[in-house]
Amino acid sequence: MKKDIFTKMQILSDSAKYDVSCSSSGSESNYKTGELGATQSSGICHTFTTDGRCVSLLKVLLTNFCLYDCAYCINRVSNDIPRAAFSPKELADITMNFYKRNYIEGLFLSSGIIESENHTTELMLRTLRILRFEYKFNGYIHVKLIPGADKELIGEVVKLASRVSSNIELPSDASLKLLAPNKTKEKVLQPLKYARDISLERSTQPIAMSTQLIVGATPESDFDILKLSSVLYDKALLKRVYYSAYIPVNDAKNLPAILTAPPLLREHRLYQADWLLRFYGFSYDEIVSDARPNLDEELDPKTFWALGNLHLFPIEINKASKEELIRIPGVGIRGAHKIIQARRFKSLRFADLSALKVSMKRAKYFITCNGEFQKEIPLYEERIKKAILLPPKKEIFHMPNLFDVSGITGEL
Amino acid sequence: MTFIYNGTFDGFLSLVHEVYYKKLYPHAILRHMPKTLLLDEIHLCVYDEANCAKVLEALQKNFTKENFQTLLNIFMCDTVAFEMELLEFVVLGFKEQRNLQNINNPAIFKILNIQKEFFRNVHKMSGFLRFEELEDGTLYAKVESKYNLVYSLGHHFSKRFNNQNYIIHDVQRELVFLHSQEFVGIREVHAFHMPTLSQDEQKFKKLWRSFFESVAIQSRKNTKLQQQLVPLIYRTYMNEFYE
Repeated sequence: MKKDIFTKMQILSDSAKYDVSCSSSGSESNYKTGELGATQSSGICHTFTTDGRCVSLLKVLLTNFCLYDCAYCINRVSNDIPRAAFSPKELADITMNFYKRNYIEGLFLSSGIIESENHTTELMLRTLRILRFEYKFNGYIHVKLIPGADKELIGEVVKLASRVSSNIELPSDASLKLLAPNKTKEKVLQPLKYARDISLERSTQPIAMSTQLIVGATPESDFDILKLSSVLYDKALLKRVYYSAYIPVNDAKNLPAILTAPPLLREHRLYQADWLLRFYGFSYDEIVSDARPNLDEELDPKTFWALGNLHLFPIEINKASKEELIRIPGVGIRGAHKIIQARRFKSLRFADLSALKVSMKRAKYFITCNGEFQKEIPLYEERIKKAILLPPKKEIFHMPNLFDVSGITGEL
Repeated sequence: MTFIYNGTFDGFLSLVHEVYYKKLYPHAILRHMPKTLLLDEIHLCVYDEANCAKVLEALQKNFTKENFQTLLNIFMCDTVAFEMELLEFVVLGFKEQRNLQNINNPAIFKILNIQKEFFRNVHKMSGFLRFEELEDGTLYAKVESKYNLVYSLGHHFSKRFNNQNYIIHDVQRELVFLHSQEFVGIREVHAFHMPTLSQDEQKFKKLWRSFFESVAIQSRKNTKLQQQLVPLIYRTYMNEFYE
């Protein structure tokens, strides 16, 4: 039966939704006169879904037919779900029209494996060629590389796309073997290595790449996950690792039961830790270790680290370097910049920091301002932890007064 | 002394002239004559072309490009009262440009924060603006916003839509940004008839809505977060939020 375009859109975007990556950032603006589209380095969100995720790209599968049988995936061949496919021309048309209406920043193209890895890549390439050459589209295109496709084809994709990615999905080879019998770690990383080499031949900047790891489907600890991310960042293989709390979509004996809630807090903590790796100069073994392989659920990773390293604190706000400032819990990159800018004009005190709207909620336990420091809580791990988790309640007792307005009726 | 000026950038420059040449300093600056009784001396600043040009020249000579741009950006924030702080910003800037980096000064901190909010509004709107295709292929967008974003949005889209004709229409402020072969820039519009949409318009709106609905993950539903990220004021013309 031939499906109409609305049904196709519904099926194919539904199938792509578990891919987290939807960012359009990190690409310098490169518009050309007479062509449509430009990218912006900050990235732009065009709407947010009811689950609060940014929609930046038209994220669809070219087709959700698939030869593979990965246990965690909704599109695996053994699932009985409606299947559909876009023609390359159809998808290019939708992309152009969505872009002109400012619905999207560009296209996020992924696909199930149809016929063979190479054939699938060919189909994706055809879409890219229509967009780039026929329609002169200059916006953002993110392509999910197909593991197992030929190097030449990957080279073609790299030439036309703004960013490419390949999902590692599971943090270890053993888990992959268990849940994705058609994939190995080698095979999954191969397209990323190809893409890096090919783009390095052409310029000094390798093409931006990202990957996704599923969290909570298999028993790996946060230590394993962060170590893997950190290695991938160091090798300049990747710009971004996404973490996706596993949402059970299939029943399988090797997976959590279908009613298990997705570990959203763990995902959140992993992202916080990831930020510490990429922007705050932390290394993974500072955040987690063999002794404490998992991130703390109660406290954010930076506060947790600070409590374990109290000998480095308190930090004097007026003297510390930027690298030291950003290690203070509650002070971010922006906060550190504000402090550095303001202290060139005067020596800062607690009141000045509040006036600058630097968050003091956690920071106050870890800093001195010109020798001044908070005196309620001594610098002991347990005491500070307790104070942060249970901030002292404000006095709300207040004497009823003849002129009080009734909170319920609004009457005097 | 309370100053009253006409609310425009030029009017403000004339006001700055009076501050310097008549040696007056206001307690408050208003855009309109107040309806209630003021127990204060009122000084009406009349727009004067020559004075205005004189101050403009001095600003361009003494202010860095970036600080001068800040002045212009602040004037796009027409729904907040910024005049007293902006006057202090100008006075401090004339003394020494370096003063304007001192964020310990509450006036400067406030001006920079208003500007930051303005940039945030522009950035959000550059994503949330929705164009509709008209019969002749022109793209048309309506905008409703806290600040005057039309100029900045027009600039943003002039890069990506450089081969398209488009119109960005601020309905409340009666302004449009036009981009066509013949004219690029701002025009005032007082009467406007909604032109006919292209035939495909409904089809793509429906496609977009179906994409928007199916890309959400039900088990992670969080509409409170969604509303933080897309506040209601931006939703007026975003078709995915309406049937």
